[in-house]
Amino acid sequence: MFGKRPWKMAAGAAAISLLVAGCRGGDSEDPTATANAVVIGIAEPKHLLPTNTTDNNGSQVLASLFYPLVDFDAGRKPVEVAAESVTVDKTNRVWTIKLKPGFTFHNGEPVTSQNYIDAWNYGAYAPNAQDGGYFFERIAGYADLNPLDPDGAGPAKAPDPTTNKMSGLKKVDDLTFTVTLSAPFASFDSVMAYSVFYPLPKAAFAKDGVIAEGFEEKLIGNGPFKLKGKWEHDDKIVVEKFSDFKGVVPKIDGVTWKIYQDDMAAYADLVDNNLDVQTNIPTDALAVAPADLGERFQNSEDSGFDFIGFPTFAPEYENPNVRKAISMAINREEIASQVFLNSVAAAKSFVSPVVQGYRENSCGEACEYNPTKARELYAENKGPAEIKITYNQDGGHKSWVDATCNQIKAALRVNCTGVPEPKFSVMQEKLKAKQNIGLIRLGWVMDYPLMENYLGPLFTTKGSSNFYGWSNAAFDTLMKQGSAAATPEAQVKKWQQAEDILAQEMPIIPLRFSRNVFGYSTRVANVDMDLFKKVDLYEIETVA
Amino acid sequence: MSDPNLIAMAEAPAGSGRPRSLAGDAWHDLRRNKIFWASSVLVLVVLLMALAPSLFTSADPAACALSNKHKGPAGGALFGYDFQGCDVFARTVHGTRNSIEVGFLSTLLAGVIGLCFGLAAGYYGGAVDAVLSRGIDIVLGIPFLLGAVVFSGRLSAGEGDDGVTAVTLTLGLLAWTSAARVMRSSVVSAKSQDYVAAARMLGAGPLRLMFRHILPNSIAPFIVVLTLMLGANIAAEATLSYLGVGLKGEAISWGVQIADAQGQARVAAGPLVWPSVFLAATVLAFIMLGDAVRDAFDPKLR
Repeated sequence: MFGKRPWKMAAGAAAISLLVAGCRGGDSEDPTATANAVVIGIAEPKHLLPTNTTDNNGSQVLASLFYPLVDFDAGRKPVEVAAESVTVDKTNRVWTIKLKPGFTFHNGEPVTSQNYIDAWNYGAYAPNAQDGGYFFERIAGYADLNPLDPDGAGPAKAPDPTTNKMSGLKKVDDLTFTVTLSAPFASFDSVMAYSVFYPLPKAAFAKDGVIAEGFEEKLIGNGPFKLKGKWEHDDKIVVEKFSDFKGVVPKIDGVTWKIYQDDMAAYADLVDNNLDVQTNIPTDALAVAPADLGERFQNSEDSGFDFIGFPTFAPEYENPNVRKAISMAINREEIASQVFLNSVAAAKSFVSPVVQGYRENSCGEACEYNPTKARELYAENKGPAEIKITYNQDGGHKSWVDATCNQIKAALRVNCTGVPEPKFSVMQEKLKAKQNIGLIRLGWVMDYPLMENYLGPLFTTKGSSNFYGWSNAAFDTLMKQGSAAATPEAQVKKWQQAEDILAQEMPIIPLRFSRNVFGYSTRVANVDMDLFKKVDLYEIETVA
Repeated sequence: MSDPNLIAMAEAPAGSGRPRSLAGDAWHDLRRNKIFWASSVLVLVVLLMALAPSLFTSADPAACALSNKHKGPAGGALFGYDFQGCDVFARTVHGTRNSIEVGFLSTLLAGVIGLCFGLAAGYYGGAVDAVLSRGIDIVLGIPFLLGAVVFSGRLSAGEGDDGVTAVTLTLGLLAWTSAARVMRSSVVSAKSQDYVAAARMLGAGPLRLMFRHILPNSIAPFIVVLTLMLGANIAAEATLSYLGVGLKGEAISWGVQIADAQGQARVAAGPLVWPSVFLAATVLAFIMLGDAVRDAFDPKLR
């Protein structure tokens, strides 16, 4: 055994370097300004403009700078936050949003309904190529801003949109606007909680529909914290209390979002009390974290869903029985307990247990570990002799991909290899070009607590994250019918029928439902994380 | 290291009247060198392990069961099991082949390149020497790790490639310079010997001179350099594999094992320690062997 010494020494070295850095900052700043602030570790966000932010690191930072229209209560029902009221007419098509009065942006501008309309139009406008643009696709007029590409992936480009305003967005007065959907959707209020629906101040735009240069580096929001300085790439983002904030006031005076490239380095900082919250304890540290952190090592429910996708366009994976056999060769429970030390749960459904409509084993026999049956089924259907699982190297996936491959090897008697790609975007590019890179490691964290948020983006033919090209007409129809249904209960019924098709077809292999596995320093208390893998900034406090 | 040479100096004049060649002298020394024998035995064991791993273990290194995670030594698994439940002993033994294969092939490649450059530069001299020597300097100027990372990435055949060819080529293409320099200098000194002049007068052409007369008499220091390089290349392969630019996929190698085990070192040190011990012992054996051979061959110590 190594004992604790080498580790402590490494942490000590990190502490010294931080101390030096700390001295440098302390000279010029008011020392009391950050006394009640916390340091939370993240990775470098891809973007910070709300309509372009769909990654977890970015949306976590945005949650401190912006105040959403609605949020969710403990029962996962939407409740108004920045909105006074969110109501829908009888057709489930026209939503009326009334804003609470008195709110201002960090630059003093009052928050008006026009700020929402401008931001959403910018996000939906195809030439702006915003990552979160598809969130607006339910709004009437979205199609005018996103003309169809005449030949799909072919050389011809989509024509320029004729307008940059969605016809479905109408300003009533300074604090009221209406959203008309192109098809009825009874749960649009839940969707509007997502970070792409934040408003943008007038100062964000250089002219109509054009974001001012450098705005993303110096964001101005309507939330409880304002940006201090600017986004210091690959280093940190510092936010401080916004004194004119009219909403629920957090207990802390500021947050330093410290950006790490290596999660083990972040863990060393956490153990050494230089980092207050690490939102994702790395797998390699799971075994030692209880001893290092004691009570400060926590986990809570989140909405993460890990799975393996099949390149369903490849002939060797066309047969659903081959896909089923591979799924049956995987012992999910063993991986959950041995690799993840029970910080995750085995998944045997296609939606997370946190949404209404979840059924415990909707995947049925196909997700039960049964090596004998798997081998028979695989041989009968002449599955490929060589299986590859491609994963992104930067996400700490190697250990479970290797373990999964070992199980497949043992059960099916075929060769199985894990193939690392440097980044997720590289995998995405290859899939887009319909390159056969074998099975693909994928994951999903919900944007709003509805079954539809799992099934729609992941499995409908035009789904934004349907990377594996699976398409099923009956499934698409059921999803559409579900969204149009009048009540949440009726919606769930249709979506469950759609989920049953997935269990028959197995376009993916459900593997695990993740949990927030986090740790915090001795400087903070009341640390909690929500279903969206975000730290609750309104509850966390510092202890003297 | 001084004792064997002292013995050699004392015995050489006292030997029988039969004249001994350089190699004969060296062998005479080596026979009495304990370090030579110790390292030779170690090298032979490692070679045997690489050629016939099944003599040492009957376990399949690729058969891993999570249920064995971090279990201690049991049955055939002398060193216990790693995080994935693989037999550490079986993996370490089977990892020998890749390490030795890369080590030998890359050294062979470096040797061939180094021999051609060194022989040509030393024999022709003048402008040829100037051009070739500057070429050597340029390659020597490439930082080893940076060059290796760039080359092995470029040379890799993409997915499914286990990386053995790429790493071998990378190490061979970067490591030949020292061998070429040694070769050149010993060719320069051999070229001016009387027997070379005699052969030339008898009408021998440049190729015959180079390969029949100069090469056999100047190759000893070159071989010493190659022996030392072999150890260094085995260590370099482990370094590249550890950094993730060496062997990959299914390939089993000590560097890959060390990289895989380091994250869990606080929980289970065995999977990290054993391949490291094998790596250190193998590199040490080759370097000690090289040292002993150099001491025996080096005329300056004589």
